[in-house]
Amino acid sequence: MNKVFTDGLSFALPLLIIAVGALYSEKSGVTNLAAEGFQGVGAFFGALAATLLGPVIGNGNQAIIYIAILCAALGGALFSLIHGLLCIRFRANQVISGVVINILAVALTAFFTSAANSAISGNASNKFVLDVSTRFTIPLLSSIPWIGGIFTDMYPFEIMIAVLVVFLWYLLNRTRFGMRLRACGENPQAVDAAGANVNRIRWIAVMISGALCGIGGICFAYSMIGNFSPSIYQGFGYLAIAAMIFGNWKIGPTTLACLIFGLAKSGGLQLCIAAKLPSNYMDLFLMLPYILTLLLLVFFSKKNHPPKAAGEPFDKSKR
Amino acid sequence: MFLSRRLTGKYASLWVSLLAILMTLAAASILLLAMGKNPLIAFRSFLQGCGMIPKENYGGGSGMLTDLLDFLNYLAPLILASLAFIAAFKAGLFNIGIAGQMLLAGFTATVLVGYNKGLSAVVAKPLVLLIGLLVGGMTGALIGWLKYRFNIHEVVSTIMLNYIISYLTGFFINNNYVDMMTRNSKVCSPDSRLTLTNIMIGDLKCKIPLGLIIAILIALLVSFLFRKTVLGFEIKAVGQNRRCSEYTGIRVNRTILLSMGLSGAIAGLAGVAYYLGYTNTIIPKTLPGMGYDSISVALLGSGAPIGSIFAAIVVSVFQQGANYMSSTVGVAKEIASLITGILLLFASCGNYMKYKAARKMQLAEDLRRTEGKEAKAL
Repeated sequence: MNKVFTDGLSFALPLLIIAVGALYSEKSGVTNLAAEGFQGVGAFFGALAATLLGPVIGNGNQAIIYIAILCAALGGALFSLIHGLLCIRFRANQVISGVVINILAVALTAFFTSAANSAISGNASNKFVLDVSTRFTIPLLSSIPWIGGIFTDMYPFEIMIAVLVVFLWYLLNRTRFGMRLRACGENPQAVDAAGANVNRIRWIAVMISGALCGIGGICFAYSMIGNFSPSIYQGFGYLAIAAMIFGNWKIGPTTLACLIFGLAKSGGLQLCIAAKLPSNYMDLFLMLPYILTLLLLVFFSKKNHPPKAAGEPFDKSKR
Repeated sequence: MFLSRRLTGKYASLWVSLLAILMTLAAASILLLAMGKNPLIAFRSFLQGCGMIPKENYGGGSGMLTDLLDFLNYLAPLILASLAFIAAFKAGLFNIGIAGQMLLAGFTATVLVGYNKGLSAVVAKPLVLLIGLLVGGMTGALIGWLKYRFNIHEVVSTIMLNYIISYLTGFFINNNYVDMMTRNSKVCSPDSRLTLTNIMIGDLKCKIPLGLIIAILIALLVSFLFRKTVLGFEIKAVGQNRRCSEYTGIRVNRTILLSMGLSGAIAGLAGVAYYLGYTNTIIPKTLPGMGYDSISVALLGSGAPIGSIFAAIVVSVFQQGANYMSSTVGVAKEIASLITGILLLFASCGNYMKYKAARKMQLAEDLRRTEGKEAKAL
């Protein structure tokens, strides 16, 4: 039971930061299907930094993780410029742009991972091996019955993400910048009339989105997968988008959706282990989050209110 | 000015595609030069790997013709997959789940027909096609139904289905149909395959891809559908403006269901052409990369069914020629996907190119008029 909460949370929180990233972009009026690509490329930059710095700082030094997270955020933001360029500057179809970004991300990271590996170590392997992040347990809270598992074996990044999400909620809902950002997704013409620069706000939103997705990606690489390889593209980004839709483009409900996914995933695995099924049956339980997503969307999609102007490039001359 | 005129003229889409290809080749050249390789040799190797230019030497039983036929064998499912994308795209829907639909159709046909040794070729081959059509079509229709009944965005539902299908078929293959040597699914019976193998032409051992005939046939059919039929017109109308179509009395829900069903059905055909033609086996829990390449092809062909045949040839050259290129030039073969990605990047800017060209023409026109007026005033 404890394990369900521990693993569930370490899956849900990186998912949440990706979902919030996608949410920022969509709230500003730029449809973001590129979350999958952003998180992969972010993780690539983070892992590259960790691999390069590893020998310098000393392997096993936990400080590398924080540098990697920072680099992942920067790399994600850098890569998201392509999405911004296509959607905001070149007025391409935003759904297509998202798909383009995802395809490009897989190809770019696969190519440059083997290129970087053959330059560093001489063999063209397609993965960067990473250390696993240390875990810690909060003494008193972890002994609470039932929910103690939440505070057991936590990754440091879980706390970081939780704090970051609260801050991002504040930024989006309680500041002038956040209000303008949301208005850009509902009625960009009004924002323009009020004297703000719609496209600049959208550029910032897309870059925030890229940075947040990058953080989510490197957290997955450091916790669940333990290395950076093409297996980072397991559809976390899409799952996060589904969580965002399920959460009706609001940070609070999106958090809930991510927690449900996380618990469904870890719960399914523990169920499989508890029932002593052969390892082949694991696949059936790995399907659970995706089936759950579809079912939940069936019940909750009808009443959704996506941002009104999402998907449309801003045209000053329209009203 | 030359370009602007071309980009606003009758064959604008063709010029956009050509421009995208040229820009991609330029970008790929820069990339190859940066790695210290000769791009010209690399591009020649791509073509050699596809049997379009003869290689220096060949092994026994193979030649330029075998390479070319292998290339066509890969081309057939790619054309079909891109047609599947187009069928939904015309209705304004994004079928990202082509990979999943291909896998499900290929898996079902493999299990039902491929492992059934009793069927003769005359029965088995049409049956494979029928299963592909039905399974793919039903999956596509399910997505269309979820779209209009529950307002679930097709991109999300198709991706969820992709993962579900991938895990589900992977589970069954690992449990029941696995080949212990290769860890893939067991191979299908030769009678059920859509590729005739071991055909001797001269002294060359060749594969004849029957899927290519089907692919070209379907391309013509889809082209006819969108040019000449009411259904095709309605699908296009829904894609252009859903509310307007509803107002004019088109049954939008039915159209969405039909276009998604059609898209799925063609994707199913692509699936059987891929799994029972090209690969002859299924790697468990792996979606075919072709599902995403098909989007590049459809965009490069600017959504035209016949155009996608030519676009598919361009993309296949990179994907299929990558192995040989990798062996001669020594660049990782992942560069093929990278080139496809860059191609997609430029192709998606097509509308912007047209827009810029139209603006330039307009400005030139305005300038000429004002100059004319000034001359008169003088």
